[in-house]
Amino acid sequence: MKADEVSLARLMAMSQAGDRQAYATLLDACQRWLRGYYARRIAPSQLDDLVQDTLMALHNKRASWDSTRPFLPWLAAIARYRWVDHLRKLYRAGECELGSDYACHDDEPAISARITLDRLLEVLPDPQARVIELVKIQGLSIAEASTATGQSESLVKVNIHRGLKKLAHMIEKA
Amino acid sequence: MAQNSEALITQLVGGLEPVKPLRFSRGIGYIPLTAAISTALILSLFGLRPDLQAWQVAPIPLIATGLFLGLGTASGATVVVMSRPGVGISHNGWACAAVLAALLPFAGMIVAMSNSNSLLSQDSIAHGLDCFVIGTGGSVLVFGTLVWWLRRGAPTSPDHAGLVAGITAGSFGIFAFGLHCPENDIVHIGVWHSAVVLMVGALGRLIVPPLVRW
Repeated sequence: MKADEVSLARLMAMSQAGDRQAYATLLDACQRWLRGYYARRIAPSQLDDLVQDTLMALHNKRASWDSTRPFLPWLAAIARYRWVDHLRKLYRAGECELGSDYACHDDEPAISARITLDRLLEVLPDPQARVIELVKIQGLSIAEASTATGQSESLVKVNIHRGLKKLAHMIEKA
Repeated sequence: MAQNSEALITQLVGGLEPVKPLRFSRGIGYIPLTAAISTALILSLFGLRPDLQAWQVAPIPLIATGLFLGLGTASGATVVVMSRPGVGISHNGWACAAVLAALLPFAGMIVAMSNSNSLLSQDSIAHGLDCFVIGTGGSVLVFGTLVWWLRRGAPTSPDHAGLVAGITAGSFGIFAFGLHCPENDIVHIGVWHSAVVLMVGALGRLIVPPLVRW
């Protein structure tokens, strides 16, 4: 079924009352909506896990939807929360790997984090994305980034600040 | 996750039980209820201010108590709103009440700086600490209720929710003790009573997020 607000809200109200058929239809529609929502935000290999994680969150927190309020903003808020949590886990996994044995670690979280970062950086103007990549990811100094990009040191700092602020805002309001 | 989404959906549908939606009216109802219990408890232990008993109300404590009550009400409503996810919902309604209440510590500090002996005297500190400790204790019931409500809900900004829950609890705690505290001095009220709100707010910001994360 098409994920329109009115139908989803009606199905959710029936699900809260214990209607399993309505709930199956609702979860299927939500699953498709979530795939679309996450498709441009995370690596394809992580999509299934995140969609399932969000469906479980929806199930566990289904009482937090009030039938007097719209459904899709509720679902979108849950999806965004799980997405941010997913990013946090990827970030932590990357941190742990730095401290563990380099010879036998699993590269998948790092690769996923890299893909996710690339997708986030795509939304920034090139000068901002470039200096964030050099300083915050590759670990270059401000002076080195300045030489590499031809931007003045103060411009590098400003671009990093503006870029990170924009990314934080984008994640918060996504 | 090993299973596919269809298998998960089948499993979730199989385990479906009816649930009672979290209504705003029910959540908001618990706050005055627990605040009233805390106030009654404090007044039964320590008694009402003498001027209130005689119905000769002093203006400074009246304004301060009203500001704390307003801050507690506004921030409490925000906490209940925050327990339900929703994109595009503002959670900043309490900020105006916070700005108004912030006039108290500012006014207190300004008066204290122009009259340095009033803030640092031994009696002043001892009395201030009493207000601080008992006011903080008076916030426990509201604090616990808000954490319980947030755990039932699904706050998507746990850090913010913790801070606002702490400010709510602290405001109601010092509101309750403010009905007993016989002090009329803006320095005492602005510094020590406001410190309860700041302290419980900081505790909320620190303690609540791990408790309500989901």
